[in-house]
Amino acid sequence: MNPFRVALAVARKDIRSEWRTREMVPALAQFIVLALLIGNFGFHIDARNAPAIAPGILWLALVFAGLVAFGRTFAAEREQASLEAMLMTPASPVAIFAGKAIAASLLLVICEAVLLPALTLFFGTPFTGDVVAAVLLATVGMAALGVMFAAIVARVRARELLLPLLTLPLWIPFIVAGGQAVQSAMGLPGSYDQAIGLLIDFDILFVVLTSLAARFVLEE
Amino acid sequence: MSLLVGNGLTHWFGRELALEGVDLVIDTGEHMAVLGDNGAGKTTLLRILATVLRPTSGQLEIAGLNAFRERRRLRHHVGYVAHATGLYPALTAAENLEFFCDLQDVSRTRVEEALDAVGLTRVARRRAGELSRGMQQRLSIARAILHEPRLLILDEPDASLGDDAAELLTQVMKDKTVVLATHDHALANRLCPRTLVLRHGRSHGTATRLRVVR
Repeated sequence: MNPFRVALAVARKDIRSEWRTREMVPALAQFIVLALLIGNFGFHIDARNAPAIAPGILWLALVFAGLVAFGRTFAAEREQASLEAMLMTPASPVAIFAGKAIAASLLLVICEAVLLPALTLFFGTPFTGDVVAAVLLATVGMAALGVMFAAIVARVRARELLLPLLTLPLWIPFIVAGGQAVQSAMGLPGSYDQAIGLLIDFDILFVVLTSLAARFVLEE
Repeated sequence: MSLLVGNGLTHWFGRELALEGVDLVIDTGEHMAVLGDNGAGKTTLLRILATVLRPTSGQLEIAGLNAFRERRRLRHHVGYVAHATGLYPALTAAENLEFFCDLQDVSRTRVEEALDAVGLTRVARRRAGELSRGMQQRLSIARAILHEPRLLILDEPDASLGDDAAELLTQVMKDKTVVLATHDHALANRLCPRTLVLRHGRSHGTATRLRVVR
């Protein structure tokens, strides 16, 4: 059985379901715009301090949007009892996990497509390829970890509380390296290349670790 | 020839004993009904036989394979209809089955055949969430037979099927080894020559065309 075919089928199914129900993306986009609005009015922003403040608001909005997006990936499957049906097939749990992570990442990327131009609009910060690359690289590792913890907590009643408690500490490396990359891309001192290198290292590490853990998390 | 052999199947949920030392042998092509009151352990037994649940103790062999060590290989041979339909409400009936064709690694041409087998061809393009409960149950049966399993495990499939449940199930069960849990003794007697009675998680024996006395 081709695991890529399985992962693509799972991702396609999740995206198609989201496209038809529009449960997540409009709400997350609205949340992101509101977070930026609050940030815009909460801080005294001018051209001088915007590159220092905007990355912090970007990561805050992204982290909370990610928690919601990844939290729903397995909660819906458990509520519908469809995860059991999926796991009853000979498909590899790792491929199923990868498909869920791809779909959740794409949802977050759609939110980022709202977030980054809105950040430029509200804070006047540059909207460059370097900023986009840093955010996308962080999304990969954050999605792998977020979806794995979402699978773990999906069977627990207090999952909304547990997911941030488990996920946020492990997202810190992405926020630190991603924050540094975005700040230097916006003109503040700091090595962009070094931060991007770290993000790539973290991505590889956590994608491999979560893939190894996926089988045990999903099947037991 | 035996397709399924279970020895001393026992399961505890925390401190609660759900199933105690159930032994059973089911031959290829045999249809066996599992009867019992609510909480008797029917669903627990069926979930173990479907390899969804690992028993606390006991051995299970299906088609000569260890059911838990070779679980993934076995899943080509097992179809399971659970209590909950486990369908994707935003996808159409056909899309639900196409998705499972991809996961089962079977051709999507099976979708039409499976829908036809459960009488859902006319609603193939309707979303699963818009179907009646009975139609959803039929769709979950279609999903269980997509890959033409040798062993079919049905947990109260008649619950919302309506008057033609027996007819549909007879059709679906043809040429398969079946374990069927139901509350309907008449249906069990009609569809299954052999019956296993569970009470408080214990087997009260198997019989042929059993007249069950409570």
